[in-house]
Amino acid sequence: MIRLIARRELTELWRDGRLAGAGGLVALLVCAALAVGWQRQHEIAAERTAAQVLDYDDWVSQQERHPHDAAHQGMHVFKPEPALAIVDPGIEPYVGSTIWLQAHRQSELKFRPAQDATGLQRFGSLSAAWVLQVLGPLLVIVLGFNSIAWEREQGTLRQVLSLGVAPRQLFWGKAVALGGAVTTLLVPCFVLAAAAVLYASSAAPVPALARLGWLAGAYALYFGIWVFVVLGVSARVRTSRASMTTLVALWIVTVVLAPRVIADLSRRWQPTPTRTEFEREMQHDLNEEYEHAWREQFGTSVRWGPDLPLDKWGISLRVDDHAGYGVTDEHFGALWDTFAAQRRFQEWAGLAVPILAVRSFSMGLSGTDFSHHRNFSVAAEQHRRVMQDLMSGDLIEHADPLKDRHFAYQADRELWRQVPRFVYDAPSVGWALRESWPGLLVLALTCALSAAAALAAVPRQRML
Amino acid sequence: MLDAVRVTKEFGPKRALDDVSLSVRGGDIYCLLGANGAGKTTLINLFLNFLEPTSGEVRINGRDVATAPLETKRDVAYIPEQVMLYGVMSGLENLRYFAALATGEQRTRTQLLDLLASVGLDTAAADRRVSTYSKGMRQKVGIAIALAKNARALLLDEPTSGLDPHAASEFSELLKRASASGVAVLTTTHDLFHATQTGTRVGIMKQGKLVEDLSNDDIAHADLQALYLRHMRA
Repeated sequence: MIRLIARRELTELWRDGRLAGAGGLVALLVCAALAVGWQRQHEIAAERTAAQVLDYDDWVSQQERHPHDAAHQGMHVFKPEPALAIVDPGIEPYVGSTIWLQAHRQSELKFRPAQDATGLQRFGSLSAAWVLQVLGPLLVIVLGFNSIAWEREQGTLRQVLSLGVAPRQLFWGKAVALGGAVTTLLVPCFVLAAAAVLYASSAAPVPALARLGWLAGAYALYFGIWVFVVLGVSARVRTSRASMTTLVALWIVTVVLAPRVIADLSRRWQPTPTRTEFEREMQHDLNEEYEHAWREQFGTSVRWGPDLPLDKWGISLRVDDHAGYGVTDEHFGALWDTFAAQRRFQEWAGLAVPILAVRSFSMGLSGTDFSHHRNFSVAAEQHRRVMQDLMSGDLIEHADPLKDRHFAYQADRELWRQVPRFVYDAPSVGWALRESWPGLLVLALTCALSAAAALAAVPRQRML
Repeated sequence: MLDAVRVTKEFGPKRALDDVSLSVRGGDIYCLLGANGAGKTTLINLFLNFLEPTSGEVRINGRDVATAPLETKRDVAYIPEQVMLYGVMSGLENLRYFAALATGEQRTRTQLLDLLASVGLDTAAADRRVSTYSKGMRQKVGIAIALAKNARALLLDEPTSGLDPHAASEFSELLKRASASGVAVLTTTHDLFHATQTGTRVGIMKQGKLVEDLSNDDIAHADLQALYLRHMRA
């Protein structure tokens, strides 16, 4: 019975041109966004890989020089562009892509792609994820707004129910048809995305495809929510015009307005310091820690003062660096934890505004969310510490016994080569799921709740 | 087959049906007459369980409609004043769909064309989209759906309203054939001529009450028009 109803619904959607018109347009847009995403990801990945190789080559081909000079020059590490950025670039365009691993301090990522984008480029940077998250619900609305309301207006609903068809069977038939229509349109997009991701992740295709599979599941839940919302409204209101008006209003509120309001609320709930405040507070704590470490190790609170013997410069660099590690970890950790708390707030708000949950999960599984960004930052900082420790270690090893020629010492490529290449292993699918599970859970809960609400809107009398 | 037992239906302060009892047996064609708002359609809606009675009981084939809504609907076919079909589908596709919903069986094209032919719709018309159909043609598809369902009772809500005399006459013949095969027919109508020509029993409703319940013999002897007008004027 449900299959029969679904087949008729699909026939009608096909014959009245909505499936081919609106559906085809959205599918085309997703495919275009995937093509643009693939090109962008391909170019960025190639650029960063090449830049990483060149930067390391620069490091190892330095001339003979003082190790601390070399540490100050440092090196750069480039964040690899994940394969699934083809689907969802997430926060990638708005956070930096490069970290300068320099002496003494942990740097933030710099060179944000969005900084260099012209207004026109920003308009053109639509992603497949954006089309699915923002335009996808509109497609479901266009396909289903009159699904029940129009039948009620036309009188075919009476005709069908008089045959002994249970209203809920009719509802499920329509839900299957609407879901089927969306699936039919999006399966080719998914296949295209899989092909692009496969190409972009040829070295490790399985984890990337697994991530894509999870993404498909999350988007299925997201569209499921909208299918039930659309059918619920269509069953509840008296006319198809009222149904369209209600659903478009709902789309404006939950897709356009509420995400901005909730993002703002999350920042009020878990405020983040300004850059100046953050740096001032961290510097204050660093100074205290440095003072403590210098007093304990060298009996002075004046860092790098004239009373520090030149043969102690190596060890003092190490002491100074190590004194700061805990403080920077604590400050950056607290800042990043605040961002994570804001994200959790927004994910749970997905119970009322599902786009927030799907957005978070989509970025998470695409590897373009803040958790992945943090993971990369931590890995880069670890590499910086390895490099700094090697430079300080060399100075300790070659401490100036005469106490007058510390700055004349020069290391050579032998030392530079001891610093390993920076190799970043992207986190596993399991790690991404552990970071992003609330989004998926919220989507599943919201889907179940919207199905229950829609079914409650379909009692017998209201159908007529 | 169709029984209303002391049925009352109220919509807020308005009483649409007031203690109505009637019974339609297999082979009966019960024509329910009455002015607009007399409660005829409300009674049909109660049989279809589209409404619930405020008091009393509505039964189809001995089963209470309120407690077995889906099962009782399997025994009846309903033809409204305007048979509403899906405009983007042909008459044949509509029949295939509704018949499959009603019976759970998929019929062949030949079987469906035979059904449509039996109600006077030829193959060319059957393959046309319903959006191009006249009201009479839609009614014919509605009857074909009822025939396909092979129901034991027919509920008809002003089925001949708006039909031309030829189509109305054809429709009456179809009802008589159904009745002859033991089907119980309950039809509402404004058409006194149709009621006398087709009905084996006639009821007159006024302000929610069943004020007359005439049998075959009564109809033959009574001046139905005079009786009807007397009730309407009173």
